Amino acid sequence: MTAFMDFLTVFTQPELLLLVGVGTFAGVYVGAIPGLSVTMAVSILISFTFSWDVYPAISLMIGIYMGGVYGGSRTAILLNIPGAPSAIATALDGYPMAKRGEAGTAIGVTTVMSFIGGFVGIGVLAVAAPWVSDFALKFQPRDYMLLAILGILLVGSLSQGSLVKGIFAGALGIAIGAVGRDPLTFAERFTFDFQLLEGGISFIAVMIGMFGVSEALLQLHHVNKNSVRQKISRIVPSLATVKKHLPLSLQTSSIGVIIGALPGTGGDIAALMAYDHAKRVTKKPERPFGDGAIEGLVAPETANNAAVGGAFIPMMTLGIPGDAVTAIMIGALFIHGLNPGPMLMIDQPDMFWFIVGCLVMANFFMLIFGLTGIKLFTRIVEMPRAVLIPLIMLLSIVGAYAVNNSITDVYWMLGFGVFGYFMRHYGYPLGPVILGVILSRLLDDNWRRAIISEQEDLGRFFSGIFSSPLSLVLFVSVILIFVSQTPLWTKAKGRIFGEKGQGHE
Amino acid sequence: MKRIIVGALSALALTATAAVAEYPEKEIQGIIQWGAGGSTDTVMRSVTPHAEAALGGTVVMQNMTGAVGAIALNHVAGSAADGYTLLMGAENPLLYKIMGLGDKDYNEFTPISILARGTPVLVANPDAPFNDYAEMMAYIKENPGSVKFGSTGPGGLPSVVTAMITSVEGGLDVTAVPYDGDGPALTGLQGGAIDVMPAVLGAAIEGIRAGNMKVLAIMDVSANEQLPDAPYVTQFNDAYSTYLPWGPFFGVFVPNGTPDDVVAKLSAAYATGAQHPDFVKLMNDRGFTLMAISGDEADAFLSKWQQGTAWLLQDAGLTKASPEEFGIARPGE
Repeated sequence: MTAFMDFLTVFTQPELLLLVGVGTFAGVYVGAIPGLSVTMAVSILISFTFSWDVYPAISLMIGIYMGGVYGGSRTAILLNIPGAPSAIATALDGYPMAKRGEAGTAIGVTTVMSFIGGFVGIGVLAVAAPWVSDFALKFQPRDYMLLAILGILLVGSLSQGSLVKGIFAGALGIAIGAVGRDPLTFAERFTFDFQLLEGGISFIAVMIGMFGVSEALLQLHHVNKNSVRQKISRIVPSLATVKKHLPLSLQTSSIGVIIGALPGTGGDIAALMAYDHAKRVTKKPERPFGDGAIEGLVAPETANNAAVGGAFIPMMTLGIPGDAVTAIMIGALFIHGLNPGPMLMIDQPDMFWFIVGCLVMANFFMLIFGLTGIKLFTRIVEMPRAVLIPLIMLLSIVGAYAVNNSITDVYWMLGFGVFGYFMRHYGYPLGPVILGVILSRLLDDNWRRAIISEQEDLGRFFSGIFSSPLSLVLFVSVILIFVSQTPLWTKAKGRIFGEKGQGHE
Repeated sequence: MKRIIVGALSALALTATAAVAEYPEKEIQGIIQWGAGGSTDTVMRSVTPHAEAALGGTVVMQNMTGAVGAIALNHVAGSAADGYTLLMGAENPLLYKIMGLGDKDYNEFTPISILARGTPVLVANPDAPFNDYAEMMAYIKENPGSVKFGSTGPGGLPSVVTAMITSVEGGLDVTAVPYDGDGPALTGLQGGAIDVMPAVLGAAIEGIRAGNMKVLAIMDVSANEQLPDAPYVTQFNDAYSTYLPWGPFFGVFVPNGTPDDVVAKLSAAYATGAQHPDFVKLMNDRGFTLMAISGDEADAFLSKWQQGTAWLLQDAGLTKASPEEFGIARPGE
C-alpha cells in the first residue's frame, strides 16, 4: 500500500507533475537535435538542480530522459539525421516515408509505438526488476562478445542491395571504432603518431556526417525540384494499425528491455537488433524494408523506449548503471545524499516507486507532446531545398561541435560527410558503418576479456561456451542466423522444401 | 592634454586593481577530466556549488574526456593563467610522463585544493574460495594463474595495488582481466567474470554492505571508519607500511602563473566549500578521506605521491619511461 502511495507521489504534487512535463517537452526537442544528447542535458541538470530536493530533481531528469530517447526519431524521420544513435534504425524506414509525403504518419506511428515500448519497459521494471538484474549479471564477457557478433550479423539486414558492399562498410565501421588509445592497455592503435587521433574518432561525429552531411550533398542534385507535399490527414494511427503491429511491438519491446538492462549495451544496439528481428519475422510487409515499411519504425522505436525502463533495472536493484544516463543519475542520487546500491530498494523503497511513477508520467507526456505540433514539424520537409540544405548543414555542425566542444569533431564530421556521400553514390550502405562503430568496442573488449580470462586457451574458451546455457543459446543463435542468411541455406531450403529460393533476406 | 593622459592612466590603473579585487568578474570554466557520472564528476559537481557561494561567482562545469584525461589537462594548461579556467582532475596526470601518455603533468599547475583521498580495498566475489587476504595469497600460491584479478590498464589504481602486492610479497601469479574502469569491473566481479578487484572503497562500499562482494583487506594501515570490522592489510603483512597510506585523489588546479591573489581567493573558496556538511557527509558515505589542502602542503603531497607511485610502477616493470628521465627522485633519496 505504501508502495502505491509512493508511486502516486508524482501524480498528486502539481509541482512534480509540472517538472516531469517540462522535462519531457525539453527532452523531445533536445533529443531531436543531433549532437545534443540526453546524457549531456542530464549532466548539466545535475549542477542546476543541486540545491533542489531530490524528488523534483529526479522528476526533471526522468522527463528529459524519456522525452530525449523519443525525440531522436524526429530528425531521423524528417531529415535523415538521427538525433541520437538509438534512432539510426528509425531513419532507415522513417525517412523514405517522409520523402513520400507521409512524415505525419511516420511520426504518429513512432510516437504511439514509443509509448507502448516505454510502458513495457516500465512494467518490467516495476514487477520483475530483481530477476532481470540477476539475469543481466549472468552475462560474462564471452556472452557480450557473442551478442556483439549477433549484432555484426545485422549487416545482412542493414545493407540493401549488395551484401559484399555491406560487409565492407561494416568492416570499415569496426576499423573506425578501433582508432585511438586502446581502452584496455592504453596502447595506441591506428593513430600514426598523430596526437589528434589519440582520443579516437567521435562516433557521433561519424554518425552526423554520414547521415546528415551526405544527405545535404545528395539533395544538392535536386535543388530545383519541388519539395514533397506532406499529407497530414492521418497522424494518430488507427486502432487497427496499432492492433496489427502489437505482437511485433511486444517482441521488440522485450528485446529493448533486456538489452537495455545489460550494463554495457543500450538503446542503440537494442533498436538495431529489434529492426533486424522485425525484418526476420515480418513475412509480408506492405512495403519492403528500407523503403518505408511501418514495421521498420515499430521495431526500433518500441525497443529504444523499452530500453529506458530496462536501464533503470540494474541501477535500482544493484546501483549499476544500465547506460550513460543512468550512470549520471546514480551520481545525482549520491549528491542528494542517497546511496544508490543494492540496499537502496531495501532502505528506501519509496525512491523506487517514485521513479516508476515519474516514468509512467513522462511516458504520457511524451505521447501528448509527440502527437501535438506534428503539422509544424512536417513543414520542415516542405521547405524549399535551398533553405533545407543549409539548415541540415547548420544542424550537423552545431551537433558535432556540441558533443565534445571540439572543432576537430566538426572536421571529422565534414570529412565523413563527404566520404558518406561517395559511398551512397556508389551504392555502399551507411547503416553497417555505424553498426560497426557501435559494436567495435563491445566486440573487441569482450573478446579480449574472455580469452584472457581463459588464460588465452581456445579450448577452455569453447568449453566455457558449451558449459553455460546462456552462452550456448547465444552461440547457437549466431550459427543459425549466420547459416540462414547465406545463399547456401536458401539453396538447401529450395531443395528440401521444393520452394523457390527467395534470397531477399 | 596632460590632464587627460594622467586621468586615463589613473583610470586604467583603477580598473586594473579593480579587476583583481573583483575577481571573479565573469563566469569561471571548470573542466572536469572525466566523464559525467564518474567519481571525479560527482565530487566536483557536489563541492563546486558550495565553493561558488563562498566565491560569489559562477563556475560552469564541463566534462572533457579522452586520452585518460590528457585532453582536458592540455586544454587547461594551454588556456590563460587568469583563474577563469580550472582543471578538475584526479591523480592520473602524475603518471602521464612515465606511462608515455603525455609530456605535461601537475607540475604545470598550481593546486587550488586537493579535496579528498580514496582508500583502495581488495574485494572478491562472495563465492571466491578465500575469505581474507592471507587465504587469498595462500590460494594463489597453490593455484598459480587461476585467480582472475580485474584491472583498468597500466597506471590505474588496480595496477598500482598489484604492483604493491608484487613488491611486498615477491610475486603475484594471477590473470589480470582488463576493464574500462572500476565500475564495469565491479559489475563483472558480481557476475563472476573476475574473482578479485582492487577498487577504491567508495565504488565498492554499497556492494560490500549488501553482501554482493566481500572484503579481503583494506589497503591501509588502520581500520576504516566506514567498515570498522574489515581487516586492513598491515594486519597480514607489516611490510605494506612502506607504501601506505596510498590512494587516488581529487583536486582543483589552475595553470602556473595565475596571480597569487586569485589563487588565494579560489583556494579559500574551495576550502570553505569542502567543509560544507553536505559535502563532508558525501565524502564520508563514499569512504573518501577529506583533505582540502592547498599551497605548500598540497605541493608536498603531490610530489610525495608522484615519487612513491612512479617508482613502485617502475620497479614492477609497468612503465614506458623511467621516472629518472623526468627528474622524479626515488623516495628517500
